[in-house]
Amino acid sequence: MHSLKNRISELSELPKDVVLGIPMLTMIGQMELIIENYRGIIEYTDILVRIHTKDGQIKVVGNSLKVDYYTNDEMKITGCIVSVEYVK
Amino acid sequence: MLSRLICYMRGYLCIRITGYSTERFLNACRHKGIYLWGLRAVSGAYEMNIPISGFRRLKPIIRKTGTKVTIVRKSGLPFYLYQYRKRKLFFVGVFCCVFLIFGMSRYIWNIDITGNLTRTDETLLEFLATKSVKNGMAKSEVDCQRIVKDIRKEYDDIIWVSASIRGTRLIIQVKENEDSAETTAYKEEDEPVKTPVDIVADRDCTLEDAIVRKGLLQAKIGKKVKKGDVLVSGQVPVNNDAGETVGYQYQISDADLTGKTVLKYKDSCENTYIRKEEPGIVKQEHYLKIGKVRVALGGIKNQYEHFTMTGEQWQLRLFDNFYFPVYWGERKAVPYIAHEEPYSQEEIQQILTQRFVSYCEDLEKKGVEIIENNVKIYTGSKTSEAKGRLTVRMPVGTEKKSELIKIPDPKEKEETGEQPDGNDGNSH
Repeated sequence: MHSLKNRISELSELPKDVVLGIPMLTMIGQMELIIENYRGIIEYTDILVRIHTKDGQIKVVGNSLKVDYYTNDEMKITGCIVSVEYVK
Repeated sequence: MLSRLICYMRGYLCIRITGYSTERFLNACRHKGIYLWGLRAVSGAYEMNIPISGFRRLKPIIRKTGTKVTIVRKSGLPFYLYQYRKRKLFFVGVFCCVFLIFGMSRYIWNIDITGNLTRTDETLLEFLATKSVKNGMAKSEVDCQRIVKDIRKEYDDIIWVSASIRGTRLIIQVKENEDSAETTAYKEEDEPVKTPVDIVADRDCTLEDAIVRKGLLQAKIGKKVKKGDVLVSGQVPVNNDAGETVGYQYQISDADLTGKTVLKYKDSCENTYIRKEEPGIVKQEHYLKIGKVRVALGGIKNQYEHFTMTGEQWQLRLFDNFYFPVYWGERKAVPYIAHEEPYSQEEIQQILTQRFVSYCEDLEKKGVEIIENNVKIYTGSKTSEAKGRLTVRMPVGTEKKSELIKIPDPKEKEETGEQPDGNDGNSH
């Protein structure tokens, strides 16, 4: 099913994040991370943020992590980001 | 920045969430579309900002997630106003301030003129004042089209004017004519000449050289001409086969005319000068002017007869274009004792020579060639003078509207020509 949707998005030239509903991450240096298409927060401390997405979890590790805003569409994490990891 | 301002205007709360499933609380807020920001983890709890409207919708979420919500801080304009609700004068002040700003924004408080090179702002402002365009007039009374027309009508050399209102400023942009020849050429290309223009002598001189591009040369080279004589006529006669003038072709004359003439030079200089001895006193005044009311701090009054005064003034404004009739500035007076000291003979000679040299340089810039110079310095008891005559070769001629020449009526000619013939015929 996933590959079929992938093929459709490739053929129709539609953005994959819209068709597949997979998360889109925009990172500005080590300071900012904007995540779209997520489902919710699983865990949040100032050194770790775990985010639930359609494909699994995203683990953001860093120092002084802060959620700048948290809306239905996107969330923005600021601070000193050390790593971003996908956990299935 | 704007979103922060909106949040402040609407008011928001900083809340702390404690309990077992705080993450669930966050996800529930997200699900309900409650906007959260500034989320931070503080010793096992979360602190975040939430709008007032969002806070009112929290009750079912709190019940469902079993979390505890405590208000840490209340921020924003609604809370600020509520806190100071008993200070009635404060609200009166705020209302007056808003009313004044609104009221003042309906008037012009600054007239800005740009692009004027040959005329000062003051000259143009004085002219505008005669047309009732001045600081303090209502914006609704400003007729930009009228201002543009008035300026164009008054000043011939201003070829383009734009007037616009921005905030409480009236911005007038002008473009002056830098090259009259170009404009004349432009005019000619565009429209046929209705009124011919001559070139007349602007001073008595001997015409030495003439290059005529348009028009008919009237004066002879090498001959003396008097001021007002027509040098180049803008009316070029059109002759028929019989050599009779049947009409005139109108043109705006264009020519380079050079003439030899004598210029009188006279300059005087006092034999003494004032030496200023400053006793080291500086009087300063700071002032605030609101409309016509002026409040000053300090003063420039002193017992000395002479003093040098300098001043600077600023106008209150909000952003770039919102000017208020509020001015502040400072004035400084430095008193001095005047001593009259005599110049030495060499100094007088140096001053007058320097002035004469700069006068000659100015003439050369205007294209005047000095052929002969017999300016001498005469020293008197009180003043010294430099006077004499300069024989120069310089461009002469100024444009003037032609006096139209009457075209002879051919019928009249025939009548006057036939009568004697007819008489002759009768007598035979």
